[in-house]
Amino acid sequence: MILFQGQVYPPERQDEILEKLEECINATRETKTLDREQVIAAADRLRSRILAGEFDALIKTFSDSITTEYLREAADIMKRENIEFRLRTELAGVVQENEIAPPYGISKAKICYRPLGTLFHIAAGNVDGLPAFSVLEGLLTGNVNILKLPEADNGISIEIFLRMMEEEPLLKEYVYIFDTPSSDVQGMRKMADMSDGIVVWGGEAAVAAVRTLASPGAKIIEWGHKLGFAYMSGYEEKERDLRGLAKHIIDTRQLFCSSCQTIYIDTEDAEDLHAFCKEFLPYLDEAAEQNPVLEVGAVAEMTLRKYHASLEAALCGEGEQEECYQGKKTSLTVCDDQELELSYMYGNCLVKALPRKDLLRTLRRAKGCLQTAGLVCAPEKRRQLTDLLVRAGINRVMSAGHMSATFCGEAHDGEYPLRRYLRVVNIECD
Amino acid sequence: MDYRKKLFQWKDPFDTEGSKDAFCKAMKENCAFQYKNCPEYRTILDEKGFSPEDIKDYDDLARLPFLPTVFLKHHRIFSMPEHKRLIRATSSGTSGKYSEIGMEFGSLTNGLRMLLKVTRPRKLISPVPCHYIIFGYRPHKSNKTAIAKTALGYTFFTPALSRTFALKYKDGKYEPDLEGVIKAIVKHSKSKFPMRFIGFPAYTYFTLKMMDERGIHVKLPKNSVIMLGGGWKQFYKEQVDKQAMYDLVKRVLDVEEENVVESFGAAEHPILYCDCKKHHFHVPVYSRVMIRDVNTLEVLPHGNVGLVNLMTPMIKATPVLSIMTDDLGILHDAEECGCGVKSPYLEIIGRVGLKDVKTCAAGASEILEKAGLKG
Repeated sequence: MILFQGQVYPPERQDEILEKLEECINATRETKTLDREQVIAAADRLRSRILAGEFDALIKTFSDSITTEYLREAADIMKRENIEFRLRTELAGVVQENEIAPPYGISKAKICYRPLGTLFHIAAGNVDGLPAFSVLEGLLTGNVNILKLPEADNGISIEIFLRMMEEEPLLKEYVYIFDTPSSDVQGMRKMADMSDGIVVWGGEAAVAAVRTLASPGAKIIEWGHKLGFAYMSGYEEKERDLRGLAKHIIDTRQLFCSSCQTIYIDTEDAEDLHAFCKEFLPYLDEAAEQNPVLEVGAVAEMTLRKYHASLEAALCGEGEQEECYQGKKTSLTVCDDQELELSYMYGNCLVKALPRKDLLRTLRRAKGCLQTAGLVCAPEKRRQLTDLLVRAGINRVMSAGHMSATFCGEAHDGEYPLRRYLRVVNIECD
Repeated sequence: MDYRKKLFQWKDPFDTEGSKDAFCKAMKENCAFQYKNCPEYRTILDEKGFSPEDIKDYDDLARLPFLPTVFLKHHRIFSMPEHKRLIRATSSGTSGKYSEIGMEFGSLTNGLRMLLKVTRPRKLISPVPCHYIIFGYRPHKSNKTAIAKTALGYTFFTPALSRTFALKYKDGKYEPDLEGVIKAIVKHSKSKFPMRFIGFPAYTYFTLKMMDERGIHVKLPKNSVIMLGGGWKQFYKEQVDKQAMYDLVKRVLDVEEENVVESFGAAEHPILYCDCKKHHFHVPVYSRVMIRDVNTLEVLPHGNVGLVNLMTPMIKATPVLSIMTDDLGILHDAEECGCGVKSPYLEIIGRVGLKDVKTCAAGASEILEKAGLKG
């Protein structure tokens, strides 16, 4: 489906719509300004309708994964006070207009922040509604937004914006959504061509691919594809710490950038890794029992990959370097290297030794992938270890149980999204 | 002793219970042969701490290390020199990589025995000549897939009066010629000899749909048979889709449901699974199915969903005695079917994969990789 000027069209009409899209966007940008207050008011009013249960039946038709808790989080993001808090945090010091008298060059200049213009969002589908939040950020900064839906989108993004447009009709000119098939490179190139910034969720390969789509000079704003890990150096409260880490691993299925893939133990003794696995595995199994993984096909795929890797290792004569502790539904694999790696997910975690003397130099080798560390340690070590992790390039240091927790006003991959969607304009004053 | 021969000569092709010991001995014999003659297979068994001597009774087969089909797509491994591998069959290679299975003389003769027995309940082998419509590839030297060979092989079940192929090799590639097929169906429906349809269910369905939409309805001669097959992937569809197929066959060709026969096999496990009257795939004595837990790979009791592990001692030239497919399935007790066949039956319900999973990695990078934009 396509959302164009507030109307839904079938995908067959994409070419025809793309033909006139740039003209429509140009007309909007020439004469209209989307006021931040209009966006906040629309989001807040829609939030009230969601909380009143107006869309409960509709939401159920989209996805089973949208729980009450998830809806509450979504509603929190859309709440006026929270958006305003976020704006104050992210855009502190960013004012609409400011006049300065530079010490050299010219005598007086005006500095103002303006939208990048048109943003093309190539969104990820790992969280329901995430593409919509990406667009909401574009709207809060006054941009026109073109959204290419992820394949896993279930139609909810278009529905969200149709409702937002009921609240604020001007949004019809600021949000365009396409479910362009992945193979339609030409269609995506057209969307990229009319954009000033391309917001891409994905790894290095995705960014490299987007560069081939983008016209020279288009700003590429990349998010995501990071690897999370837990760093364990003793405990604050052992039972609670282990339970929290296990719950995090199972609840996120290790699918998020912030999810724990590798558990590092602050030790040089391999025996400590085995002891840890024996101790932690029951916690992991217990968490899996409480929140069973239902994606059988995905779990089977990962189990087969793991088994296949063991055969490859056997043929290469590397069979003894890893030892797997198999639980009922989960597993822990002791590895003898230190590299930060993606696990087999769904409750299958890697366990490696990383004494703190090796921490910085090891993590630097993964600098493009760093984001979240879940730190488990004695209280007296916490400050020092946090500092070491931050020096190594980590942007989020959380307790193990909160590795994927979000909060209002947090940065994303070390940056504030709203700032990246704005540009600084200098105007010489008389 | 040649335990393989003993197994493949077993009187009742669905007496899996009675043939357990013979199956186990044939597997042990095969395992020892592979261990001795295939260095890669030997390394794997050694690394996994398993010896052919560990197979003492049937239950020990659960511990025999299996090779995933994906592994066979990455490694060409054999236990006999090339000149003894008389037939070379490859999987269809939908992902661009394919496995290659070499078959020696002994496996072919045993395969023939199997074919005669498995097809008997459905009366597929007959001296009455037939006109064949093949919804598959016209043979060409460039096509070595098992599916092309199997489809052609089926046309020797009876003397063939004619063979019409839906996929024709033209200018270096295969092209569907459904118009030509429809013409042949109309023409041969007036013959006094029966017709046989063979091959991909999707093409069969599509052709019959075209005929239905154009109002071309014929009455095929008595004893005509519609044989559907063409790899595991064809069988994921719900029963309701199958029923739609039977209804269409009846409407367009006037052929009863009992004359629609389904079969499947795989290059890596070339055992012919032929359906019963109730369209269930009962396990023949030449094969065993173990359904394994998707987390632990432990063997599950009947009635549970898991990964489909297939075993057969049929082939010596390639170590495919125990392979793991990337299918998800359930093994049902024979009684659940009620057709009278004594062995359990396999239901394929899906495939492993991350397709429907929402991960960070499956976001933009995957979309763009699919679009051929990577790198």
